[in-house]
Amino acid sequence: MELVAAGDANAFEVILERHADAAFSLAYRICGRHAAADDITQESCLAVWRSGARYDRGRGSVRTWVLSIVHNRAIDALRRSGVRDRRHAGDEGIEDSLEANERTDAQAIENATSREIRGALGELPTEQRRVIELAYFGGFTQTEIASMLNTPIGTVKSRMRLGLEKLRDHLRGWEAVGT
Amino acid sequence: MSTHGKSLHCQESEDAAAYVLGALDEPEFYRQHLATCTVCQAEVARLQPVVDTLPATVPPQSAPEGLRRRVVSVVRAEAELLRVAGHEADEPPRRGSRWRRPRGAVLAWGALAASVAAVLAIALTAGSSEQTRVTNAQVAVVGAHASLRQVGGHSELLLAGMPQPPRGRIYEIWLSRGAAPQPTDALFGVTRHGSGAVAVPGSLHGVKEVLVTSEPLGGSSHPTSTPLIRVAV
Repeated sequence: MELVAAGDANAFEVILERHADAAFSLAYRICGRHAAADDITQESCLAVWRSGARYDRGRGSVRTWVLSIVHNRAIDALRRSGVRDRRHAGDEGIEDSLEANERTDAQAIENATSREIRGALGELPTEQRRVIELAYFGGFTQTEIASMLNTPIGTVKSRMRLGLEKLRDHLRGWEAVGT
Repeated sequence: MSTHGKSLHCQESEDAAAYVLGALDEPEFYRQHLATCTVCQAEVARLQPVVDTLPATVPPQSAPEGLRRRVVSVVRAEAELLRVAGHEADEPPRRGSRWRRPRGAVLAWGALAASVAAVLAIALTAGSSEQTRVTNAQVAVVGAHASLRQVGGHSELLLAGMPQPPRGRIYEIWLSRGAAPQPTDALFGVTRHGSGAVAVPGSLHGVKEVLVTSEPLGGSSHPTSTPLIRVAV
């Protein structure tokens, strides 16, 4: 990232190659439309290029930083558009769209980790998983979620906290969590 | 609530989970609180890594190849601009000198932009079904640069190193077809780091120049200041 911050386009291409798929996948999961995900990913990648100097290694990996930019922009776009009723863009079967020969060993490891985290999320009580997904992938505020679910806001807060606590317990063995 | 086995408690820490999930209605209030509350800082530090794993639950997809090409095209153009202009051109303008617009500086930057234009005025990349055209702009603000990206029927102005509009003013995009520039409803500011990506409304068919001026809040029907950005379409 130091080279990217110094304006090295070749270094940026390495970053792009490593994280573009994850960035696009997250954008698509949030906005649910291919064209919008394309725009958001492009804006985010250019933001990474233009603000590389702001990357702080002490606050997480490059991927975490890149995906936080994608997440923020995707949620902003979602809130601006006012379209808040979709975003479950065909969760099933997308894995199969990747050709087997596109999967490197690194991707295989990454996918295994993804399955672990997805499994942990899936094991949460439905009401806890739902508020987490509505907030993180749907961009809804706790007040909006309380209204949608006809649930007191205090209950929504508790479900968010309990859900994240349980996820953390599930993933405690994973070195990136809780360190 | 105890934190890490300590008996410290803060009522606001109940909001930590919603904060890291981006679900607070007024996150700025909690952000300010965080600056001084070690209990909440610890709670956020505990929960943030969990939220950071959520993108890994997303079904994987391959980014479109056209997307990579477009990004690389813009990045290479900007890297070249930076190389020619020197690294100081990418640094935030110094306070008090941001709106330095003496004629000499404007002309100097215009001349530089013109020379650079020979190198990277237009970057063309073939997308899967549409072409992306990136045109470098002439920018009358020292240290800033801008380009116009056209994809299909859509256009976007990309900015870097621009100062915030002065208090009480806002940037406005104009389309010039040869006569008086026509106003658009594209009014914008830039991030605190001087970057921005602004959609140019409508079609550029017949448009000779895209202009940006600084206008009073709410915009103007006629330009009231000299264009800061000019893109020959």
